[in-house]
Amino acid sequence: MKINIEQALGKNVKVTDKKLVTVIRTNKVNFYYTRDKKTLDNINITISEKKVTAFIGPSGCGKSTLLRCFNRMNDLIPGIKMTGKIEIEGNDIYSPDVKLEDLRKKIGMVFQKSNPFPMTIWENVAFGPKVNGITSKSDLDEIVEFSLTQGDLWKEVKDRLNSSAMDLSGGQQQRLCIARALANKPDIILMDEPASSLDPISTNKIEETISELKNNYTIVIVTHNMQQAARVSEYTAFMMTGNIIEFNETSALFTNPKEKLTEDYITGRFG
Amino acid sequence: MNRIKTFWKKGDPYILFTGAGLIFSLGMVLLMLGIIIFNGMDAFWPKNISEYQLKDGSKFLGEIWDTKKDYLLKPDSTYGVVEEVKVKTGNRDIYGSDFKWLYHKDIKTSNEPQEAVCFERWEYGNFYGFINAVSIFDKRYTFQNKDLIEKANEALAKTLDNRNKEENIEKKLNDLMRPLSEVQRELSLIDINENVNKIKVEKLNKKAEELQNKIEKAYTKLSNDLTKLKEEDSQIIVSVTIADGTNIDVPMSKVLRLYQPNKMSTISKSFFYVKKVWEFLIADPRESNTEGGVFPAIFGTVIMVLLMSIVVVPFGVAAAIYLNEYAKQGFLIRMIRLSVVNLAGVPSIVFGIFGLGFFIYIIGGTIDQLFFTSELPSPTFGTGGILWASLTLALLTLPVVVVATEEGLLAVPKENKQGALALGATKWQMIRKVVLPSIMPGILTGMILAISRGAGEVAPLMITGVVKLAPALPFDLSFPFLHLDRKFMHLGFHIYDVGFQSPNVEAALPMVYTTAFLLVLIVVTLNLVAIYFRNNLRNKYKSSTF
Ligand SMILES: Nc1ncnc2c1ncn2[C@@H]1O[C@H](COP(=O)(O)OP(=O)(O)O)[C@@H](O)[C@H]1O
Ligand SMILES: [Mg+2]
Repeated sequence: MKINIEQALGKNVKVTDKKLVTVIRTNKVNFYYTRDKKTLDNINITISEKKVTAFIGPSGCGKSTLLRCFNRMNDLIPGIKMTGKIEIEGNDIYSPDVKLEDLRKKIGMVFQKSNPFPMTIWENVAFGPKVNGITSKSDLDEIVEFSLTQGDLWKEVKDRLNSSAMDLSGGQQQRLCIARALANKPDIILMDEPASSLDPISTNKIEETISELKNNYTIVIVTHNMQQAARVSEYTAFMMTGNIIEFNETSALFTNPKEKLTEDYITGRFG
Repeated sequence: MNRIKTFWKKGDPYILFTGAGLIFSLGMVLLMLGIIIFNGMDAFWPKNISEYQLKDGSKFLGEIWDTKKDYLLKPDSTYGVVEEVKVKTGNRDIYGSDFKWLYHKDIKTSNEPQEAVCFERWEYGNFYGFINAVSIFDKRYTFQNKDLIEKANEALAKTLDNRNKEENIEKKLNDLMRPLSEVQRELSLIDINENVNKIKVEKLNKKAEELQNKIEKAYTKLSNDLTKLKEEDSQIIVSVTIADGTNIDVPMSKVLRLYQPNKMSTISKSFFYVKKVWEFLIADPRESNTEGGVFPAIFGTVIMVLLMSIVVVPFGVAAAIYLNEYAKQGFLIRMIRLSVVNLAGVPSIVFGIFGLGFFIYIIGGTIDQLFFTSELPSPTFGTGGILWASLTLALLTLPVVVVATEEGLLAVPKENKQGALALGATKWQMIRKVVLPSIMPGILTGMILAISRGAGEVAPLMITGVVKLAPALPFDLSFPFLHLDRKFMHLGFHIYDVGFQSPNVEAALPMVYTTAFLLVLIVVTLNLVAIYFRNNLRNKYKSSTF
């Protein structure tokens, strides 16, 4: 296990000494789905611009919940409660004058289960820009091409933009979802186990896409696959039962964990 | 013992039982359809005319409609079985009824005479006999003319042509008189005690006089033409020898069609059949609906179903979307959902009564008070009409649409909804762009069910606007084209009326089957159209799970 991770890290780009800019900062975040069950416990984390940050940890530890706090997708669930503060680019996203639609436009999200809409490929990618007010066909065409190129899908679909997105393979669908998120020109992309339901080749392709994207976007990725975290991310947070146990540069966290729990987890002793 | 146990456990008897259930249900449906189709299709086939001579010397001429065995009380107080044949002898105005039961044992001879003619008449049903002579104006052709039947057809063509002309003239007369009769109607409604009205009365009187003068010349000319045509008609006569040998003079203008079935080949019978089916589909009914066509009923049914769909689908879909997407789920919403579903179980006549009380009396009455005061006291919307009938049926089919749409909504993956929201869509944008397209098949399923239910309902329609015979179609070329206030005809009611309310139910029986067949066909067609659209949508949005 350890060896695998080191191999994966070998591919990793070492964090350069460039000055880091904080994009997301959480302050004492607690989260409850029901009143008596704390799902996130005192989360304090800073996520840097144009880096890939991975959340790892055993299933049910709250990775997705934390991720969904960043674009307020949890707001949809009735009965939730959150305390603490989350700032994105310096603004408190839970303050009452934040417009949810604007926030979500700025923060793209890719889900665990690929969710292309039952429309054509073109319509899927143009969906975000359209609901955000872009109407000109040529502008949309341009955005669609740009986003699909960035999502590494343009070559495969450029001749069938008007066929149904449901006809694509699983991996292509997931890359379409990435492209669809990119079409809004977001600053941040949240990915919740984007490759967990894909075959190894498609997974590989998604990881390549992520590596290309990190030059332009801040990416937060949830994964339960440690090799994946090692391969794609620069920073990794290890979570357990609602707490962040350890947060560090990926190479440091995997080669030299400071916490016993982290070491146990990455050496496969539990989880 | 053990083997019996495993036999029951394995469930073979249950497979048999469920299979039998399926076969029984399918069998009953097929049997019903079979009977309707067989009887319905058979109705227009020209039947041969048989001539019977009975032992007592009496003679009958007509079509065989039925044979049966009957029990007859013999003089020694025992019962004997006799065979009977039911003959449609027609000539109702002479014999008093259309049918005659003949005992087999009484029949001396029977044959199918080549020359026997069946006259379809505009009134009093068919007339059977042999052509003896034809008079056209002052010319008279008798059996010495070999082409007597051609002469008869010539005479018929002439009277049919006259009939067309007469109808045209009558229509023109009506149009001509309309302004005048409107003025007269206004006059009759005015209460002349009041001073103000006296001036108005004078004005109206003057207007009436002017109108009268204006149309007089045209009126005289038209009525002269009409009299001339009627005069012509009275000189075209066919003399028919009926079964017992007497000669009857039948004015040809009373005849609609004549043919000699015993002489016709299968091919010409087929042509005849097609022509009759066509007439059935496009003609107006005759003889209190027992003859002629059902076009107004087809038209009324289709328009009503369309109006109903136009109303029920948007409302049903909106209600379902609110219930599922916006409302806070809880006890109240559960109760509402339960009530909506249970609405489907309310007897349809209850909906009819509600339609009468609420739509017609309250809403229709108010509309009349506000917008049609000049027509009062005769109601415009305050009486049954196609709008109110459609609305009543819309209400009746609402639960079906709501339930089908809700099922569709539940099948939309929540990932898709969240995906849309995560892209910055508002809830409404998400519903309109992601949810609505994917539930279209479900909505159409609801519509299909609503159509099936709505097209077959009769009870609520009877008190909200269906009539036995509507004077005009609800849609025509006069402004505003769609006349929502008009009464209309409906195939379902037509079946009830012709089959059970008409004075001559026996003769109308084929009509009942044909109309039933047609109603089934229309419902199936409307459904097929909706299914076609649904399949198209399904192909477009492959993810949906219907
Ligand atoms: N919608 C929800 N309602 C209630 N509890 C939830 C909901 N979603 C997740 N949870 C619970 O919150 C905990 C954290 O879930 P999650 O963030 O999805 O974990 P992870 O993504 O790390 O596997 C789990 O115990 C899970 O059962
Ligand atoms: Mg998760």
